[in-house]
Amino acid sequence: MSGFGGVLPWARRTIVEREKWLSSDEFNAMLGICQIVPGPNVVNLAVCVGSRFAGVRGALAATLGLMLGPIAIVILLGILYEHYSYMPVVQGMLRGVSAVGVGLIASTGFKMMRSELSYPPMMIVVIFTVLAASYFHLGLGWVVLIASPLALYLAWKKADIS
Amino acid sequence: MTVLLSLFLKLSAFSLVAFGGINALLPVLFNLSVTQEQWLNSQTFADYFAIAQAAPGPNLMTVTLIGWHVSGVIGAVVATLAIAWPSSIMIFFLQRYIRGMKNPRKQKAIQFAAGALAVGLVLASAWQIALQINQGYAAYFLTIMTIVIALFTRWHPLYLIALGAALGIFGVI
Repeated sequence: MSGFGGVLPWARRTIVEREKWLSSDEFNAMLGICQIVPGPNVVNLAVCVGSRFAGVRGALAATLGLMLGPIAIVILLGILYEHYSYMPVVQGMLRGVSAVGVGLIASTGFKMMRSELSYPPMMIVVIFTVLAASYFHLGLGWVVLIASPLALYLAWKKADIS
Repeated sequence: MTVLLSLFLKLSAFSLVAFGGINALLPVLFNLSVTQEQWLNSQTFADYFAIAQAAPGPNLMTVTLIGWHVSGVIGAVVATLAIAWPSSIMIFFLQRYIRGMKNPRKQKAIQFAAGALAVGLVLASAWQIALQINQGYAAYFLTIMTIVIALFTRWHPLYLIALGAALGIFGVI
C-alpha cells in the first residue's frame, strides 16, 4: 500500500529490517532470482518470500496481501480519470508523468546494465535484444528464444571468471 | 465473456516471456490492447501508464487498468491474475531448483543469462514506449532529463514524477 515509486524499498524495510524474517543476504539472493525470471517482479518476490515460510499457502497469502490494496486504489484512480480526463490540466499532468515514467524505466535498464559491463561481451546480448525488439519489431517470445542460447553461452564464460 | 477469456489467455501467454518484469512487457501490451484488439486508444494507454506510475503499488497496475477498462472490476482482477499466475507457478518451483543447485557455476550462469536478457528487454521497452507516448520535443527532453537525474543523483523517483506532473499542469509538456 505504501509503495510509492515501487514496492521494493518498502518490502526490504518490512521483511529485513522490521520483521527480521530474512537476513539481508538472503533477501538479496531471493531478489536476484525474482528480478531475472519472467513475470511481475514484485509478485515473484511475494511468492518466494511467502513460500519460504508457509509453502503454497504462504505464497498465495503474500501475493494477495500485496495486490489487493493497490488494485483497489488504481481502480479508484481509473474512475476519477473517467470523470476528469476531459480537463486540459489533467491531460497535461498525465503527459508529464508518463514522460518521466518512461525515463525511470530507461534508467532502471541502464542501472541494470552496469553489472553487464564487468563482462563486456555480454553487451552483444543486450544490443541484439534491443535491436531485435525495437528496430526489427520481433515478438517478445521470439527475441527471448533467439537470444537465449548466446546469453547462456556467454553467461557460462562469465561465471567462470567471476 | 469472450472478451474476458481473450484478455485472460493473451495476458497469460505474455507472463512467461516477460524477462525484466512488466517494464519489459509494455510495448507488447500496447500492441495487444491498442493495435490488435482496440480495447483502448493510444492516448488512454499512455494515461493509464502515467496513472500506474504515479499510484502507490507495483507497476503491473497498467495491466490492471487495461483490464478495468475492458470489463470493469472483474476485468481488472482477471487481467492482474492472468499476467501473474504462470510466472508465479514457475518461480515457485524454479527458486527451489536454483537454490538447490550443487554446481555454483551453473547457478551463476543462469542468473547472468537471464539478467542480460532482462537488461536488453527493459531498454528496448523504454525505447518503444517513448515513441508511442511522448508527444513533441519537450516530452523527449523531460524523458532524457529523468534518465540523467535518476542515474547520477539519489533523488527519490516520486520527486521526478511530481516534477513531471507540475510541468504538465503548467502546459510545458
